[in-house]
Amino acid sequence: MGYRAETLFRLFKAAAPTLLGVLGVLVLAAPIRLFEGVAPTPILPLVIVFFWSVYGPDYLPPLSVFMIGLLQDLLTGGPLGLWPAVYLVTQYIVMSQRAYFLGREQKVVWLGFALASAGAGLILWLVMSLMSGVLLPVRHLLLQFAATVLIYPLFGIAFGELHRRVLVEA
Amino acid sequence: MDYLGQDRREGLGRRAHSRFTLVLLILVSVLLLLSSLYSAQASVFKKAREGVMDAASPVLSLIAGPVAYVNGVMGSVGDYFNVMEQNKALREENAELRQWMNEALELRETVATYEALQNYAAPPEAQPISAFVIGEANDAFARSMIVNAGRANNVEVGQAVVNDAGLVGRIVEAGGNASRVLLLTDIQSRIPVYIEGADVEGILVGNTRSNPVISFTASADDVEAEPDQRVLTSGAGGALPRGLPVGTVKGETRGGITVDLYANYARTRMVRVINYAFPAIDHVTADGATAETDETSEAAQEDGRQTPAEG
Repeated sequence: MGYRAETLFRLFKAAAPTLLGVLGVLVLAAPIRLFEGVAPTPILPLVIVFFWSVYGPDYLPPLSVFMIGLLQDLLTGGPLGLWPAVYLVTQYIVMSQRAYFLGREQKVVWLGFALASAGAGLILWLVMSLMSGVLLPVRHLLLQFAATVLIYPLFGIAFGELHRRVLVEA
Repeated sequence: MDYLGQDRREGLGRRAHSRFTLVLLILVSVLLLLSSLYSAQASVFKKAREGVMDAASPVLSLIAGPVAYVNGVMGSVGDYFNVMEQNKALREENAELRQWMNEALELRETVATYEALQNYAAPPEAQPISAFVIGEANDAFARSMIVNAGRANNVEVGQAVVNDAGLVGRIVEAGGNASRVLLLTDIQSRIPVYIEGADVEGILVGNTRSNPVISFTASADDVEAEPDQRVLTSGAGGALPRGLPVGTVKGETRGGITVDLYANYARTRMVRVINYAFPAIDHVTADGATAETDETSEAAQEDGRQTPAEG
């Protein structure tokens, strides 16, 4: 591998989680209506923020998380600053508990993700309810976060392979 | 996962461990949130939204293609299982629609006769702009879609968006080649409507549930609406044309009357943006009857923000 290609590859490795986050936002903004819209689209960026906050905070610095959230706000038309706040608070909480998660079984990490999602959902609901002046119905929110928690193991394995084999080792 | 968790100082942020940046950015987000609460329509935010929407629209179009294909395949797999029932239901519906067609044809003739008799000046025709849905806010509390038509196609903020079944929403942001449609179910959606046959007007208020609610002014008399009565746009405020089909009355709740929307958002792939210009008052050509209607619509335009209650 030439010097130039190597530099490019290093750059790609460094930026991969951020790019994945951007891709996750685009998927979230695409008209994916699984089973006629019955199944909500999982919030992939939350999985990405959680995963790299645990296993490689250096790969997903707060500025990347901020930009991912901001892009999501701009694309979904919500109030600016909402998703950056949700993702960054998630990152803050996860990074403060990092020592506990490292080296644990995936089941435990999954449970941790479920708890982190619950926290993120609560923030989302509180802020949106405050902004609209009424207590918003939580049914769709619960479904969407349930879907996100359900798909975590799948993406956790995929991201784990990517992180271990490509980002760290290669 | 043995390797996971071993710290390698590589990546975008070498010193990401310092909590300082993280806390600072959380503060920035909260400040942004507060400022967008007080100035949601600020030109900086508006420009940013439109710019990002424009930039993302080619990518979203690219994703929307395969997504629609997969959805179509999955949809048809589901259809195989209930093809018989669907066939039966469609045949019944077809018979019913044929009756309506005959009635409509008769009515068309009658109306044409009256128009010829009365020197009737037709209101300006709305110019529909066709567009595909390329994006959607898959968010628990935001209900909007992105369509691939923008200012270049004469799409403007405030225009009504319909599909083959009925009203979908209205344009809230218009970029160069993409626009955002606020759906009727969004918490911010307010559409002036009336219930056919009940002689009352109200505002259709979204609440993130699938059935928005018509709310009436406190001064309005008790509204009696029966299930399956049609709900149409009233045209109050002058932003939307009058008479666009919205849905049917579903039932009553504490806050008002719930509505079953005609538009099925999960199946909405193609929409038409209605480029509607509110008829201007024209004293020269208008005879007595049209001048009167123009005055009433002008009054409606003035208090468009409030609930116009009639009867």
